[in-house]
Amino acid sequence: MNLKNIRVVYNKERMDMLRDRRTVFNMLLFPLIMFPIISIGFNRMENMFREKAKKEAAQIMVLGAAHAPELDARLRASGKFEILPLAADFKQQISDKKLRAAVEFSPGFEQALHAAGGVSPTLTLYFYRTELRSELAVRGLEELIGKYRTEIVQGRVVSQGMSAASLTPVITKEQNVASAEKVSGVRMGAIIPYFIIIFCLMGALHPAMDLTAGEKERGTLETILASAVSRGELVMGKFLLVLTTSLITAVISLISYSATLKFAPSAAARGVSGAAKDMTIHFSLQAVLMVFVMVLPLAVLFAATLVAISLMARSYKEAQSYTGPIMLAAIVPAIASILPGIELNPALALIPVLNVSLVSKELLSGSLPWASIAVVFISTSFYAAIALAIAVLQFQREEVLFRA
Amino acid sequence: MPDAPLISVRDLSKHFRTFKRREGVWGAIRNLVKRDYQAVHAVDRVTFEIQRGDMVGYIGPNGAGKSTTIKMLTGILVPTGGEIRSNGFVPWEQRRQYVKTIGVVFGQRTQLWWDIAVVESFKLLRKIYDVSQRDYDERMELFNHVLKLKDYLDTPVRKLSLGERMRCDLAAALLHNPPILFLDEPTIGLDVVAKDHIRQFLKEINQRYRTTVLLTTHDLDDIEELCKRIMIIDHGRLLYDGPLALLKQKLLRTKQVKFVVKDSEQAARLPALENDGLKIEPVDHLTYRIVFDRTKISVADLLRQILAEVEVRDLLIEDEPIEEIVKRIYAGEALKEVSA
Repeated sequence: MNLKNIRVVYNKERMDMLRDRRTVFNMLLFPLIMFPIISIGFNRMENMFREKAKKEAAQIMVLGAAHAPELDARLRASGKFEILPLAADFKQQISDKKLRAAVEFSPGFEQALHAAGGVSPTLTLYFYRTELRSELAVRGLEELIGKYRTEIVQGRVVSQGMSAASLTPVITKEQNVASAEKVSGVRMGAIIPYFIIIFCLMGALHPAMDLTAGEKERGTLETILASAVSRGELVMGKFLLVLTTSLITAVISLISYSATLKFAPSAAARGVSGAAKDMTIHFSLQAVLMVFVMVLPLAVLFAATLVAISLMARSYKEAQSYTGPIMLAAIVPAIASILPGIELNPALALIPVLNVSLVSKELLSGSLPWASIAVVFISTSFYAAIALAIAVLQFQREEVLFRA
Repeated sequence: MPDAPLISVRDLSKHFRTFKRREGVWGAIRNLVKRDYQAVHAVDRVTFEIQRGDMVGYIGPNGAGKSTTIKMLTGILVPTGGEIRSNGFVPWEQRRQYVKTIGVVFGQRTQLWWDIAVVESFKLLRKIYDVSQRDYDERMELFNHVLKLKDYLDTPVRKLSLGERMRCDLAAALLHNPPILFLDEPTIGLDVVAKDHIRQFLKEINQRYRTTVLLTTHDLDDIEELCKRIMIIDHGRLLYDGPLALLKQKLLRTKQVKFVVKDSEQAARLPALENDGLKIEPVDHLTYRIVFDRTKISVADLLRQILAEVEVRDLLIEDEPIEEIVKRIYAGEALKEVSA
């Protein structure tokens, strides 16, 4: 194998690739704009829904308002409800979603409440279960009535000569001892390797198919095979370009993600991971670099596998159906690492994709498990070497290159 | 004593394994489970030699094994059996050194890169083949002159017409001035003018550089214009290898006489000529044709008969078109005559 020839092949493929808008979009633009759009978009949408829900007062009906004038007044004053005039078919109206809910006070409700030693009066809430806005209206009613209930209880306790504090004999307090990096790392760390892995794969996918099956489809494979470049040099040139696009895509996605976190942190955090609103996010540069070192052999594995698989296809379209299962096989372990409770152990450290994903999670949460890092790196490199060897062998096989 | 042949092929064979597809839905399902393989003899014990400076036509119907032979000669495919010695190399073993001494053009393929300007492809090829800048410039000038490439050197290949692309492909294949040029259907799909351009160019480089050319084609005009020697292959077997003239001489059984009579009165007397198995076919108004076996009746005799009977205004004697001969060869009936 001759480095000069590999470079010639590489440069040729790169030039070809950059003329193709599809690649440029997949490789550069898509990862760049995806994070801001997802996070800011989610944030906007959430705010929009909240605003809308706030503005909209729930229509309710109060039956037997005369029995509870005080509560009735509070309901009217809260501003959360629009109280409609009484109608006999209120149940039907709730079913028809014209009315959100209705509250019915039993006769002599407040009288019974203020009379000492009496029976507890009842209050009935009518609503439609599974209808979101009806349930929200009932929750609002319960909240208001609950507050009223606490006041009544407090009033009774005080009137008996006891302090209001006696109602809460124990107060619990929570104190978080984990560092900010640890908290954000565990939450973000779970999701970031997933994105890097997906983008690594996505960046490699199109060029891998285009440089192999696409070449067959365009009918340029025979001629390039007849040129003064050995098959080994041809594979290496093509493979290196696929690897490059894969890594570029991953780096850009990470930069875009970091920038989104920096400039719109709450939006990004909520949008991508559903984490707390006021969470601060920071990783050490060292951790991020280590993650990249771990991803490197994985990117080689992806690029080589995709090249080897797509070469078997006769057309770009056929290659897409061949690479589908590969995508799935890579995404499932990547997702598995997000699940809580899956921790790195010696057995999992040997499973490709999952191991890198898990070790990256550890790295981003601030720990440096050297033994696992070594196992993951070596095993992934081993798989990558096998995949690359297979890709090279594929290019020697006539039945693969010239499938009829 | 003649020079040692530039290309020497002995007992060359290439077998493929293809699996037989069963018919219907049930057949398709069974195909998934169990496959019956079938050996296809794409090229079967082919032997030939080509001398330096020769231009040889390689013809045969679709699937005859032409392209497979070319792929083996260019080192893309490894033969199942037999030997190739081309320009001193065994193509598939010393492919790298060997391909620097050959040029290849696949008519339905292109070695120019689809999305990039033609000139970029040339520059890359220059690097791959280690062509010096001076040689490159010199050759580009020749190509510009003969092939008129200048106008579309900066156009991406996908925007070129087929004829333009083929010219660029030829230039690309000859950039490193190889002594051998393999052409797989170089004129396929081209219009008459483009075909003529390509043929003139091939003649020119053959004369100027003594480039040895082996070309496969379906277009027998290519052969008639360019090649003195033809090889005919079908079902992987070489059926004929020899001069085009000899093939014609041996296989040209029939000739045809086309003539125009003076008026319809003369035309009415024609049936009198129809004896000894001679048949007169009308071609056009007052124009008639007689196809005859030259082993049975000489041209002179036939003309005498015609002129004795009718008044002729115009007359044309033609050989059987070469297509007809080749058709007969493919059909298998001519095989015995050639070996006889």
